[in-house]
Amino acid sequence: MSELVRLTDVTKVYQGGITGALNGVSLSVDRGEFTAIMGPSGSGKSTLLNLIAGLDRPTSGAVSVGGVDLTTLGEAGLARFRRDQVGFVFQFFYLLPNLTALENVLIPAQLKGSAASARALELMRTLGIDDVADRFPARLSGGQQQRVAIARALINSPTLLLADEPTGALDTQSGEQVMELLGRLHRNGQTILLVTHDAKLATRHAARVITVMDGKVADDARLETIERAAPDVIRVRGEEAAR
Amino acid sequence: MRAVLVKATRDIRRRKLQAAVVFVTTLLAVCTATMALTLIAQTKDAYQSAFAAQRGAHLQVTFDGHTDPGLLAGTGRTIGAVASGGPYRTADVQFQSAGHKYAAVAVGRDDPDGDVEQLRVVAGRWPARAGELALTRSFTDINHISVGDQLKVTSVPDKPVLTVVAEVIDIDEARADIASVQRAWVVDSSVPALADPASSSYLMTYRFAQDPTTAQLKTATDALRAAVPAGAITRSVNYLFIRSIFDVSDQVLVSVLIAFSVFALAATAAIVANLVTGIVISSYREIGIMKAVGFTPLQVVGVFELQIVIPAAAACVAGIPLGTLFTQPLLADSSRSLGLAYQPTFSIPLDLLALAGALAIAATAALLPALRAGRLRPAVVIANSMAPVGRSGRWLRAVASRARLPRPVVLGLGDAVARPVRTLLTLLAILVGVATFIVAVGLTRSFDGIYNYEGHDATVDAVVNKSPALSDAAAVQLITSQPETSQVVAQTSTNVAVPGIADPVYTAVFRGDSAALGYQVVAGRWISGPGEVVAPKGLLQDAHLKVGDTFRATFRASGLPLRVVGEVYDFQGGPGGHELMVDWSTMAAVDPNLEPETYLVTLKPGSNAGAYVSRLAAAQPDLLDVHVNSSATTSGVGPINGALFAIAAVLALIAGGSIFNTMLLNTRERVRDTATLKALGMSPRQVIGMVVASAAFLAVIGGLAAVPAGLGLNRLLFDIVGSVGGDDVPPAAYGAFAPWELIAIALAGVAVALAAALLPGRWAARANVVEALRAE
Repeated sequence: MSELVRLTDVTKVYQGGITGALNGVSLSVDRGEFTAIMGPSGSGKSTLLNLIAGLDRPTSGAVSVGGVDLTTLGEAGLARFRRDQVGFVFQFFYLLPNLTALENVLIPAQLKGSAASARALELMRTLGIDDVADRFPARLSGGQQQRVAIARALINSPTLLLADEPTGALDTQSGEQVMELLGRLHRNGQTILLVTHDAKLATRHAARVITVMDGKVADDARLETIERAAPDVIRVRGEEAAR
Repeated sequence: MRAVLVKATRDIRRRKLQAAVVFVTTLLAVCTATMALTLIAQTKDAYQSAFAAQRGAHLQVTFDGHTDPGLLAGTGRTIGAVASGGPYRTADVQFQSAGHKYAAVAVGRDDPDGDVEQLRVVAGRWPARAGELALTRSFTDINHISVGDQLKVTSVPDKPVLTVVAEVIDIDEARADIASVQRAWVVDSSVPALADPASSSYLMTYRFAQDPTTAQLKTATDALRAAVPAGAITRSVNYLFIRSIFDVSDQVLVSVLIAFSVFALAATAAIVANLVTGIVISSYREIGIMKAVGFTPLQVVGVFELQIVIPAAAACVAGIPLGTLFTQPLLADSSRSLGLAYQPTFSIPLDLLALAGALAIAATAALLPALRAGRLRPAVVIANSMAPVGRSGRWLRAVASRARLPRPVVLGLGDAVARPVRTLLTLLAILVGVATFIVAVGLTRSFDGIYNYEGHDATVDAVVNKSPALSDAAAVQLITSQPETSQVVAQTSTNVAVPGIADPVYTAVFRGDSAALGYQVVAGRWISGPGEVVAPKGLLQDAHLKVGDTFRATFRASGLPLRVVGEVYDFQGGPGGHELMVDWSTMAAVDPNLEPETYLVTLKPGSNAGAYVSRLAAAQPDLLDVHVNSSATTSGVGPINGALFAIAAVLALIAGGSIFNTMLLNTRERVRDTATLKALGMSPRQVIGMVVASAAFLAVIGGLAAVPAGLGLNRLLFDIVGSVGGDDVPPAAYGAFAPWELIAIALAGVAVALAAALLPGRWAARANVVEALRAE
């Protein structure tokens, strides 16, 4: 498999220099991988995801996706990169409240200037939300909203799907359904980078689990089978809890 | 209370930009309102003071030169006046100074004082002997003549030279920039030497115990007419007319200032209401927390009210002195023209009225959204944190989508109408701004148009004024012998008694093709022969005449049968539209010796008017005053035009401020949505495009509504101005704008809106996505 994401000695310091910083992180993600990034609150995992998505810029180091060094891109270039290469699923969905579900799904395609109504409806059918296409987000359940957000993330067929705590605002059953969905996408070849604090959820689907602590990669486990992975990851989480 | 004050002041510090918007818009509005109030209070008082101090004449009557002066001297008692002045011998004269020629009425008067019409000498001394002359200061000011200058009288063959020895203030005649013919005073014995005896008259001035009404003045004039030989009264004018002329500039200025300060305050109210609504919407969680810690609903209302009232009060503190200050040059000019010493003028009660009014408007505008904040339930707003987002823009987004507009534009259009109240308030402010601009430009154009029309700019190329010392035949021969001359219309003026009208009516008499002068006929047709007359609405109304009626006027003590064939528009004619226009043949039947005063010359196409004028003037340097026809706007209108443009600029600023304010509220309110869109790949340019599209839509709608509103308002104000002059305004006079200009104004409104939206758009484009989303 070829490399899709590479972080080289990435440091991110926020104003004040305390929270959410990354300290010299280097890692790579291959195409087709389903990678979970885990870590406690404030460890820097969301910062890592934001840097890979081009939503934020590193204080030092380099971030490249698909061979493109993001640090060399301007704001417009980053916007084009996000539009063309990345799909982003947020914990709180961030659907535009004044647009219907279908309109929300279509937004990234329309920003790109392409008409994708058929694909949007197809995606919504696949995700089981085609019957709520004309509803506004406020009239959807949390699980439906997140599936709309996933459809929105997939509308431009992104190279990389990023998901930041996609089940964090959902009940257990909806969370399971969303993870099931991501697993299915992965099996169809989608590269996925998932941030979650739920070790069991992550290890059930991801083939690789990167643990970030205090702004550094504490562990990077490539798992051949779920059964082997789970105890390792749970052990790390246990150590975290003990600290 | 302390907690409310502390919270409100902290909020003002936090929302500096919004406080600045309230401050600036209130400042502009209150400044304009203060100017209007100060002018209203002071201008009328100034004239009244001067009129009382100089014992102004309530009635001035000019009598035929053949009337017995002994009889005239006793007419004061006849009409119940408590004092009278005269009879003063008068004569129409022309004189020349530094190459310029002027017409004046020479008045023989040995003493500037008296019981009526005291003349205030403001420079030099009163004429003591023949060869000395006193002029009004307004005349010397605009013609750059000083005490000591010498003038050559050209209306008599001897051409005597007079020395200017005094500048005076005459409260009983209009300023020289409004009335082209001014009085000039000489010692009584020297009058016969200055003019043809045929042009001499007697002037009487009368003062009554109290200011008489129009009806009382008419009774007095009727009594006077009965006491003197028929036709002896050739002209009369009363103090009400003179006062209206003195006040006209200030009155128009005050009217415009009042109208526009109302507009400005309305726009300010719209902006404030919009602003507070936005603050409430963006402060949902905060309102919940305030209530949770113990703020009562009334205290919450107080916090939002104070956020508006404090910057508004600061604006009043700055704006009221500024408005008072800006009024001082206008008051100084008014005082100077009345011969009064200027003193800095202000009125504390009026300033307090402006303060209370502005604060009341700002507080009232803020009240409704503040009350809404006070009624919010704390648990709900804390839990939701964000206000429900308006969805009213869906239909517009659907239309825009069908038009295949770019998505950022579609989203921007939806945002523009997402909150209907905000949309309406913004549209109101834009409408007021653009409509005011149209009114300001339209009125300015209309004023210019009136002067161009009255001056026959479009039809007459050169104007030739003839000295009485030169014969009509000689003048006509000289003019028509010039190869460029295409057409000549001779004109003179006289006064005619019309049944039902107290004062003799100013009558313009034309010889030649007067229809070619281009007077606009509102009803009926133009005069085409003897016995026909046209008049403005004012005369027809007051004399109870209509087109087609016949009446018997009196001219030179003879009956003159006349038939009204048309209603004409002539703003600068007699007072209140009391004017007649007749053909030469009509008057020549009674007075065969009628002499033209002026020749209106139309040149052949391609002629050089300047060369023509120079050649003609050189042929008779003393007896002809020749100039290229050009009606520059008079100085009386200049300040009004200046004020109109200044206020239009203020209102345009306010409208721009409103757009800015709305875009700021929208972008702040949608900061999370915008961050999401950016996360999904919306480029900075697309973000700006979205915000700008929103503003452009509002500007286009507001501009489209403002064009007919502005034109309608302009028409209304022009009608009011027309009615002051006793005129029906002809439809052609309303055409102040070409269609392309209206489109250009609307586009300019859009450009202002785009400029105002650019800053919030750039802020939205530059906002950090991660921080915006993390804040949620």
